[in-house]
Amino acid sequence: MANLGRILLVEDDPKDVELTLTALDEYNLANEVVVTHNGEEALDYLHCRGPFATRSNENPAVLLLDLKLPKVDGLEVLQQIRAAEKLELIPVVVLTSSHEEKDMVASYKLGVNAYVVKPVDFHEFVNAVKELGVFWGVINEPPPGSLGKTSRL
Amino acid sequence: MPLQGGQWESLTPESLSAPQRYGLAILSVAAALGGTLVLGRYKFTATEFPLFLFAIAITVWYAGPRAATLAVLLSSLSFDYFYTEPAYSFAITRADIPHFTIFVLFGLLLTWFSSVRHHAERELLRSRNELVKEVVERTQQASLLNLTHDTIFVRDADDVITYWNRGAQELYGWTAAEAIGQHAHALLQTVFPVSMDVVRAELLSTGRWEGELRKTRADGTEVVVASRWSLRRDDQALPAAILETNNDITERKRREEEVRALNEELAKRTTQLEATNKELEAFSYSVSHDLRAPLRHMAGFTELLQRHAASHLDEKSQRYVKMILESAKRMGSLIDDLLAFSRIGRSEAHRTTFSLQQIVQEALADVREETGARNIVWRVGALPTCYGDRSMLRLALSNLISNAVKFTRTRPQAEIEIACAEQQPDRIVLRIRDNGVGFDMRYVNKLFGVFQRLHAAESFEGTGIGLATVQRIAHRHGGTAWAESVLDNGATFYFSLSNARGA
Repeated sequence: MANLGRILLVEDDPKDVELTLTALDEYNLANEVVVTHNGEEALDYLHCRGPFATRSNENPAVLLLDLKLPKVDGLEVLQQIRAAEKLELIPVVVLTSSHEEKDMVASYKLGVNAYVVKPVDFHEFVNAVKELGVFWGVINEPPPGSLGKTSRL
Repeated sequence: MPLQGGQWESLTPESLSAPQRYGLAILSVAAALGGTLVLGRYKFTATEFPLFLFAIAITVWYAGPRAATLAVLLSSLSFDYFYTEPAYSFAITRADIPHFTIFVLFGLLLTWFSSVRHHAERELLRSRNELVKEVVERTQQASLLNLTHDTIFVRDADDVITYWNRGAQELYGWTAAEAIGQHAHALLQTVFPVSMDVVRAELLSTGRWEGELRKTRADGTEVVVASRWSLRRDDQALPAAILETNNDITERKRREEEVRALNEELAKRTTQLEATNKELEAFSYSVSHDLRAPLRHMAGFTELLQRHAASHLDEKSQRYVKMILESAKRMGSLIDDLLAFSRIGRSEAHRTTFSLQQIVQEALADVREETGARNIVWRVGALPTCYGDRSMLRLALSNLISNAVKFTRTRPQAEIEIACAEQQPDRIVLRIRDNGVGFDMRYVNKLFGVFQRLHAAESFEGTGIGLATVQRIAHRHGGTAWAESVLDNGATFYFSLSNARGA
C-alpha cells in the first residue's frame, strides 16, 4: 500500500523531491517514503484525516521536513506535532536550504531531532540524504507506535 | 562746656554736666533778682514775678526739671525775702501767703509743663533717629539687591511693580524709573504655563510659586525664565507684595529643544534603520533559501545527466557538464560567504572572555585537515585571552590562516607564524606572517574590499569575501585589519581589537 511508509517527506518543490528520492533510492529506501507537498497535507497524513483517512494509523519512523512550505510552514508543522499527544514522539529532521541561525534556533526550541542544511553539491546532498534515511529509517529504534522495520533490508 | 552764641540751639539738658545745670539755675535766678532790684531803683514795680518765672523757664528749658526745681526754690526764697511783707525777712505775713503760694505753684507748673514737653520732644527725636536708621538700612539692602545680577522685582497685590533691580533692567531692558508703577504682566507680556487662577491659588496657600514663564523684553525679543515668587502679607495677613526672581533659561531651553529634536531625529533614523535591517534580513533569508534551491537543482540534475548520459557524451560535452558543475559549486560558496559576511554586519555580538590560543588551535585543526601532505612549518607564539565574540574572532583567524596556507601553496616549505604583536590592557594586535607569494603594496587598499581579488582565480581560488569578513569582524571589535607585503616575498597581516569591555 502506497500510503505506508517509514519516512514521511514534506517537500513542496518537485525537483527537490526527485533529488531526495534519487538519493534514497541508492539505498533502496525510496519505497519507504511517503511524500506530502505542504504542511497541511503532512498534518492530514499524520492525523489520518482527509485523503489519508483510510491509512493504518502507525506513525512514520522519521519525518523529513522542509521549512519553507506553502500554507502551513515547517516550523508550524513541527509545533503541532510536538503539541499532539499521538505524534509528539515522532523523530523530526529538518531538511532545509537555509543556514539561517534564526530557523535553526527556532527548530531546536521546538524539539527537532536533527537539523540538516541541504548541500549545493550533489554528492554531498546524496550522502546527507542517504545517511539520514539509513540512520533514522533503519538504524534508529523509533518510538512505540511507529511503523517497524521491513524485512527488505 | 563754654556757652557761646550759636551753641544755644544745640544746648540741651543732656549735653550739660550736673554742676553746669545747677549753676545755670543759680545764675538765672541771680540775674532775675539783680534785674528786678535794678528796675526797682528806677521805680518799676511788680517786675519780680515775671522775671523769676522767666528765670525758671530758662532753667527748665536748658538745664532740665531738677535744676528748675532748684531755680523755683531759690526764686521762692528770693521772692519771700525781698518782696513779701515783712521785707528783708524770710517770714511771711498771713496776707501774703496766697500771693507767695501762687508764685510757687506757677513756678512748679511751668517746670512740669516744660519737662513734659521736653520728654515728648526727646521721644520724637528718638523715633526720628530710629526711622532714619531704618531708612539707611533699607536703602543699603535695596542697593545690595541691585548688586546681584539676578533679576529681582517686587509687585504689589494688584501686580503693579514697586521695585525693580539692576538685574531686572539688564534682563528686560527697562530702567527702574520706567518699570515702577507699571502693571507687571502687561509690561512683560507674561505667558503662564497654567492658568493664572492655579498660580494664584498656590501662591495664596503656600506663600510661594515657581515655574517657567515666557516674557517679552523691551526690545520685543522673547525670553524664557525660571520664575520664583514669594508672597509677603501685611499686618492683617492680606497679600501685600510679591517678590519675583527670574533666571534667564532661554539658552538652556533652546539646547533642551535641540537635544529633543536630535533625539527625535535619532529615533526616526533608528526606526528607519531597523526597518532597513529587517528588509535586509528578509532579503538574505530569501537569498539563503530561494537562491540555493535552484542552484542545488542545477548541480543535482547536471550530475544525474552526467551519470546517465556519460556514455553518449563526447569529450567536449563532458567538459561542458564539468564546467556547469564547477560554476554551480562556486556560486554556492559565493552565496554562503556573502550570507556569512552580511550576518556579521547584522547579528548581535556575544562577547565573552576566552583564550585566543585556543581558538587559534581550533582554526589550525580545521586547516590541517585540508593541508594534509603539505610541508608547513607552524610557529605559534603565546597568545593572550581577550574579550569579544568568540565565533566571529574564530572565523577571522580561520580566514587569515587559510589565506596564509593558500598563498604559500607554491612554496616547497611554507612557514606561517601566528603571534601577538602588541598587547596592552585595552588593545591586542595579532600578526599572521607567511612566506607566500605576497602582494603588490600598490593594491593594499583593495585587499579588504568585498569581491576584491589580487590574484587570478586559476592560481588561487576564493570568493574575495574572506578578508572583507576579517575587516568587518575587526571593526565590530573596535579594531582594524591591515597588511604589509613585498611581492613574492611573503605577507604579514595584522588584526587589532579593542579589549576594553565597553567596546
